[in-house]
Amino acid sequence: MKYKAKPLPPVELPDLRVVGKPLRRVDALGKAVGSTVYAGDFSMPNMLHGKVFRSSQPSARIKRLDVSKARELPGVICVLTAKDLPDAKLVTDMPGQTGQKRRAGTDAPVLASEVIRYRGEPIALVAAETLDIAEQALERIEIEYDTLPGVYDPLEAMKPGAPVVYEPDNIVATWKIRKGDVQAGMAMADMIIENTFSVPFVDHAYLEPEAGMAWMDDQNVIHIRVCTQVVEHFRSIARALGVPQNKIHIQGTFLGGGFGGKEDITVEIFLALLAKYTHRPVRLAYSREESIMAHSKRHPFIITHHTGVKRNGRITAAEIEMISDAGAYPYLSPYVLLYATVTACGPYRVEHLKVDSTSVATNNPFTSAFRGFGAAQACVAYEQQMDEIAKALDMDPLDVRRANYLSTGDRNATGQQMKSAVWLEETATRALETLGEKTSECGPIKVGQGFASYMQSYGRITWFHDTSRAWVGLELDGTAVIRCGVPDLGGGQVNTLCQIASEVLGVPLENFIIYSTDSALTPLAGTTTATRQLYMSGSAVHQAASEIRRVLLEYAQLHFEQDIENLELADGKVYVKSDPENFLPLAELTKMCAAEGLPLSNLALFKAPFTDPIDPETGQGDIFPDFTFGAHAVEVAVDTETGEITLLKSVGCHDVGRAINPIAVEGQIQGGSTQGLGYALMEEVQVVEGVIQTPSLSEYLIPTSRDLPTTKAIILESGTGLGPFGAKGIGEPSLTPAAPAVANALTNALGVRIKDLPLTPEKVLAAIEEAKNA
Amino acid sequence: MPEFDLLMPQTLPEALEMLGDRAPDLTPLAGGTNVIVYMREDRHRYKMLMDLTRLNELHGVRREDGHLVLGSATTIAELLTDPLIAEHGALLRQAAAVFASPLVRNRATVGGNLVDASPAADTAPPLLVMNAEVELASQKGVRRVPMDEFMVGVNETLRQPEELLVSIRWPLPATRSAGGFSKIGLRKGAVCSVVSAAVMVEKDEDGLCQSARIALGAVATRPIRAYAAEEILVGQPLKPQIIDLAGQLSAETVKPIDDIRGSADYRRRMVEVLVRRLLSRAAQEIVPRE
Repeated sequence: MKYKAKPLPPVELPDLRVVGKPLRRVDALGKAVGSTVYAGDFSMPNMLHGKVFRSSQPSARIKRLDVSKARELPGVICVLTAKDLPDAKLVTDMPGQTGQKRRAGTDAPVLASEVIRYRGEPIALVAAETLDIAEQALERIEIEYDTLPGVYDPLEAMKPGAPVVYEPDNIVATWKIRKGDVQAGMAMADMIIENTFSVPFVDHAYLEPEAGMAWMDDQNVIHIRVCTQVVEHFRSIARALGVPQNKIHIQGTFLGGGFGGKEDITVEIFLALLAKYTHRPVRLAYSREESIMAHSKRHPFIITHHTGVKRNGRITAAEIEMISDAGAYPYLSPYVLLYATVTACGPYRVEHLKVDSTSVATNNPFTSAFRGFGAAQACVAYEQQMDEIAKALDMDPLDVRRANYLSTGDRNATGQQMKSAVWLEETATRALETLGEKTSECGPIKVGQGFASYMQSYGRITWFHDTSRAWVGLELDGTAVIRCGVPDLGGGQVNTLCQIASEVLGVPLENFIIYSTDSALTPLAGTTTATRQLYMSGSAVHQAASEIRRVLLEYAQLHFEQDIENLELADGKVYVKSDPENFLPLAELTKMCAAEGLPLSNLALFKAPFTDPIDPETGQGDIFPDFTFGAHAVEVAVDTETGEITLLKSVGCHDVGRAINPIAVEGQIQGGSTQGLGYALMEEVQVVEGVIQTPSLSEYLIPTSRDLPTTKAIILESGTGLGPFGAKGIGEPSLTPAAPAVANALTNALGVRIKDLPLTPEKVLAAIEEAKNA
Repeated sequence: MPEFDLLMPQTLPEALEMLGDRAPDLTPLAGGTNVIVYMREDRHRYKMLMDLTRLNELHGVRREDGHLVLGSATTIAELLTDPLIAEHGALLRQAAAVFASPLVRNRATVGGNLVDASPAADTAPPLLVMNAEVELASQKGVRRVPMDEFMVGVNETLRQPEELLVSIRWPLPATRSAGGFSKIGLRKGAVCSVVSAAVMVEKDEDGLCQSARIALGAVATRPIRAYAAEEILVGQPLKPQIIDLAGQLSAETVKPIDDIRGSADYRRRMVEVLVRRLLSRAAQEIVPRE
């Protein structure tokens, strides 16, 4: 065997009863039997149906808009245009947080009034008695456009004289890193390796297209039931509607996937408007086609690396340029770009580093958050670059990385010190060892193996001053309730909170009920984004449960006449450690505590570390609470006559700090890597002159069960994360290294590299041909 | 989705009468895996649809006069389990195994796949090389049309509005024959063919090629036969050189287009690869004379 797993440093993890066990998730049964109610499942008496009228042009001025024929159609209750909503903007600030400095005048209007900047931009809203009537109303809306010259390529958009999407120019955001002396670093190099890599638009392709319903109550509160990653959007909806913030109430639902695509406002603002104007319940649900047209995409990036290296593989300097296509409105582009910038050189020690990154407006579909959030795009580039360095130096790809991997105590690209475990070699060698011997080749079929290491932050940018809240309470029968505003995207967010509280309180997992994702009735937990909920809300729940534990044990201390250290809470009981037969059921204990007037509930607020923004000129400073590290390795077979790639093996190995529920972690590693592997092999929203050419899942291809082997998940636990019980985050990290691993395996098989994802059969064949002719 | 009327005949004569009276406003509906999609996309508006699922006459597989006769409402999934298809329609079964997804296979029918007449229809190349005919019924009677004539262009066939495709029939494959179907898609399941190909070869007693048929999908406005390539094989031993030549001639026959799935050039080159591979495999499969 070529690669041997590097022994793990000694780790002492506390022995836990509930945490770390592969228990059945509290949300599992409902999903298995189909009783979980999703946002599209609701209906109400007297309900109307909403529809959105969208632009057919990617770049135009509205010459004439006449909705009178739609309004006249019997059964149409309301047609809204920009005229009805003066100045209503979709505020794309990080909700509920401070710190964003976005360019004035670049927020997307709720409904376009004058200028159309992308195809599919909302122009009018309709509410009607039936869906059919609403659809007919759309056909009766009359519109004439004066088409405007558009710009569809970020490189073109940066040139002087290019059409400007919004004044004064197309530059949406820039970031810089200046560390050390790049010129001196390059001068020390034995070789300078230069490559440009690119990645395409990608759709989130969640199972559940955007859906919801809204209604107004007798206090004129607008209630919105919707699938969203961010219930805190109620604030920007209130602003856009011109109503007080306490009059918008978002009741989130379980999500059929979010992946960043439900991080920005989707249907909820249209629902709120239609409910406000009609005073009737309104339902709005996108078809798959409308979903693909209406929601954000992953940013395409063009990334150029110049890396100076010594013969021994050590990187002396790196100069990296990144350009991302922000599409028609910025949304979260500045932050996606920041994540890419921070991880531009990967989890490697680079003393002399220069990064320049730019996000550019075009008339393409707008781009925003997508699992990995820029750091995934960066990884596609830096991990291919590492393999190219290895090739140029005739070194083993692992050895090149070993010479440069960050270690605990080292500082990353922005000078932030790595304080938790940095198990890069540990994860890479395990992934490679598990991959095993290369499958033998046969005829035109070539086989290759490849891997990628990564770093990905969990928790938000620390100058956003991130917080989460959770409430935990015990009932008098010994059962427990959690209230926490966390939206569950399917990743196991609510179960994780229950499992943490179960560990702390000794209440069995099945005795928990959790109320979540409600902007008014559950304490606000912040967004389910940025791999932050386990860290943030998990810590809040841990804090609240620990406070109740203290109350229980202090009372039990008196009851048992024992020191607190001699008492334990577990399995629904409090008992004396040295004499487990001496116990009291929790139901008894809680009744006693209640009779004494002791608090059996607690609302906790958890704060992430707060920092000041980084230095804009050097990009130096702390940006994230911490990082997750890991690796993914794959083996591919390539048909050199057809260009088809077959994935034979796939292994993901990650240090998750502590696995709260190992089955859920395995699910994240398998699901995330599936998205990453699809990114490498086939996923691409093809856009020509601003028009999506892959408008449905017949054209936009994601992997099927026939395309991928089961990803083997190797879970390592350093216990050094900032989350409860030493947990890190795994939601986004699971995706990040998968795509470059495939690209590296393909190059290993063929000897040539395709620097532009996805690796379609046709590109593979062209690359083989090019190598032959060279 | 716009409203439409749905007729539900219980017998074939009833269905043909409905068609006779109401064509061309009446569109037959079998699995709906195309019609419903076209309706949702607003690509077609249908005034009236006629559900075919209750017509027993369109179901079942049987042997008849040295032919296999397949009811047009046979689903793609049924092709995978039917013993007669396994014995006498191996190519069709191969195509069924890579046809769309299990969900679609459970609904989609062979007749529907042919009447839809997509250039990429996966059941077409196997039926072309098996020398199949389709049977079209109307109140006036039944007529048979060879597969190679039935599809005339993208979504166009020789079926008249008052006709119903009731069955597909082909001669039972000869003993010293073998063939295969293969497709290239952008993923391995639930995918439209970028290129598809089927071949069927028969050897004579001396091991020379007695007959050869090659059919290609997604490389012209309809699934086509590569006659020039077929001709050069006849009377020859099926050796690599001649097989290579047949692949090249097949590639010269086709008129593919560029689309989001692939370029014309890629399709042309894949025709050569698929035909060569299928012919080599088929040549080896035919058991030599004892």
